[in-house]
Amino acid sequence: MPKLGMSMQEGRVVAWPLPLGARVERSRTVVVIESEKAEVEIEATASGFLRHLYVAVDETVPCGSLLGALTETRDEPFDAEAFRAAHDRPLAALAPAREDRRPAPAPAAPAKPGARRAIAPAARARARELGIDVEQVAGSGPGGRVVREDVDAAAARRRDRVEVAPGVALEAPAAGQGDPVVLLPGFGSDVAAFARQAPALAERFRLIGVNPRGVAGSDAPADAAYGVATMAADAAHAFAGSAHLIGASLGAAAALELALAHPERVRSLVLVTPFVTASPRLVAVLEAWCRLAEEASPTALAAALLPWLFGAATLGDERARARTARGLAEIAARVPAATLARQAAGLRAWSGTRAADLARVRAPTLVVAGGDDLLAPDAEAVSRAIPGARLLVVPGAGHAVALEAPERVNEAILALLAAHP
Amino acid sequence: MARMLTTGQAINEALAIALESDPDVILLGEDVAGGGARSAEGVEEMGGVLGTTKGLVKRFPERVLDTPISEMGILGTAVGAAATGLRPVAELMFIDFLGVCLDPLLNQAAKLRYMFGGKARVPLTVRTVTGSGMRAAAQHSQSLYWMTAGIPGLKTVIPSNPADAKGLLLAAIRDDDPVIFCEAKGVLMQRGEVPEGDWTVPIGQARIARAGGDVTLVAFGATVAMALQAAEALAKEGTEAEVVDLRSLQPLDEAAILSSLEKTGRLVVVDESTPRCSIASDVAALCVDRGFDFLNAPVKRVTAPHTPVPFAAVLEDAFRPSAEKVIAAVREMG
Repeated sequence: MPKLGMSMQEGRVVAWPLPLGARVERSRTVVVIESEKAEVEIEATASGFLRHLYVAVDETVPCGSLLGALTETRDEPFDAEAFRAAHDRPLAALAPAREDRRPAPAPAAPAKPGARRAIAPAARARARELGIDVEQVAGSGPGGRVVREDVDAAAARRRDRVEVAPGVALEAPAAGQGDPVVLLPGFGSDVAAFARQAPALAERFRLIGVNPRGVAGSDAPADAAYGVATMAADAAHAFAGSAHLIGASLGAAAALELALAHPERVRSLVLVTPFVTASPRLVAVLEAWCRLAEEASPTALAAALLPWLFGAATLGDERARARTARGLAEIAARVPAATLARQAAGLRAWSGTRAADLARVRAPTLVVAGGDDLLAPDAEAVSRAIPGARLLVVPGAGHAVALEAPERVNEAILALLAAHP
Repeated sequence: MARMLTTGQAINEALAIALESDPDVILLGEDVAGGGARSAEGVEEMGGVLGTTKGLVKRFPERVLDTPISEMGILGTAVGAAATGLRPVAELMFIDFLGVCLDPLLNQAAKLRYMFGGKARVPLTVRTVTGSGMRAAAQHSQSLYWMTAGIPGLKTVIPSNPADAKGLLLAAIRDDDPVIFCEAKGVLMQRGEVPEGDWTVPIGQARIARAGGDVTLVAFGATVAMALQAAEALAKEGTEAEVVDLRSLQPLDEAAILSSLEKTGRLVVVDESTPRCSIASDVAALCVDRGFDFLNAPVKRVTAPHTPVPFAAVLEDAFRPSAEKVIAAVREMG
């Protein structure tokens, strides 16, 4: 977020005119921001490819915050989180006004490429102790100085990362204490999709969310497809022993896959709007999803997806619809187009391969279906095919039933977990 | 049992205990008896310019001695008396007068034990008033403890409250080396609980006046109250300051400073004196030298500016460190 005036402390992202992955020419508008009631088009200072958006449309952030990332080539390896750590420099909040009328100390010169960054000795010492590269840590002290707390925060973020394959680490934020419950988000989504389950579950369980490959801060290996079996194997790295699994949509496919491959590691299974064979409508929506992510802004993508993902209850309430669209745009901004294409390829390859295996599922299972779900119409059939599965159908809810009807969904999940500790 | 006393009263009590418990203890200085020997003639004794030694001459008429107005005379007599068997407590009315009597301290008191291979000793205590804030102008308001603290062979202590004043003074009198006992003007009138009886505070041990984990405020003498006041204000903003009261400037409790810095990573040192060659600079150097890996922010010094102490009340107040200046320094270090 550029600082465009003496008094500008923060700015709002108004639009990302180019889609993620798009080629950006030097001097072309790459982002529109609003500062102090004026909208300003910010031009790219170099040509490249728009690889990651850190700030969604309508979000307000302090000046100095990292908004997005350009890379020179379309496919070069790019670690979104490391880039953020190295370049995100939000201005510290203003100190409260004080009586002191001495002139303010001259602001630190803006960091020039290659300029020496201020790093507190205590931060260096802590980084040495924890084995962290202090040069990669963003500073929150005055003038961007890296302080000890920044190193601790970086270490905490690193602790949330799980290495699932050589050189591939996934974000796996955890919360709460108790038996492990693993959350697997669906297509094009991160663990924020379970935002309305997490508070209730974290009261009694150790929640571990797994952001799949290429999603948010997880690494994005340049594979042709992110297969469902790989997604399941990745999830198995996020917990020790056995856990309760909750998967939504494509995440439900991964949970099912893990339950079939390693039944001893699955205490119970919650499948939210699952499918075993992708419906023609689902395939078509995914195709549009990928294409819009390439060519439109996250906001436009969210607006287009909204009627496919949500039921009449949400769509009919104007405020709920606006709020949901904003949340969806934020999630969309964290999932680049390349990831969507790879997930879609994995999904298509898996579709239809497990229809006959549902009868082999041994884990106590709950299937949650939305009465208004256009994308996974066979959720109820999945439930019938799994021996002893419970079924919850929420009338009026769509594919995103866990977000739309959290009370009913949480109640059913907690009942299953209580019955099978 | 503890009672509420002013620092001046606590010092008076310590002197009485010292005189009572050791016949070798004598007090000497300008007006320390203050006409008390003439009370039969209806003269009310002064007990020193601030009344600190009031009443002592009546109890110990042989050992509480008024001197001519000659600091060179007082210190010369006291060092000689100490070297030849007495345990004198000399009063140097204001530390500003150090200049006229420096040689007995610098070249005699501080050197005798060393140059006689330990065969001589100088169990001398010099009580002296330090600091600004009493509208006493540039020649009676300085904080020159950094001079005595910087002379090998002298010890320098400075209490921040009545209890420490009593305990440190008794320890100073009983110490076999020369000790400069600083009475900061801002502390003399302060009231506080003081333990009864013979009670000492070891020289060279700092005190944690307030515990906290976010920033260390090193203070001594009159600046301890400022640091505590700043700490209370900072706590309302969610910053918990630890206040380290040095109590002794030489020897310096380096371990206490460094262990607090290790805990907090941030340190402000608050010193009434001017900044060059000060205790503040000395503590800052210690932190950089031996606490480098603990530093999470630059060490800040809150001191007077490098000028004489102004007489004008507004200027003198602006000259002095204050809780507000401590708070500003903490905010500035982030």
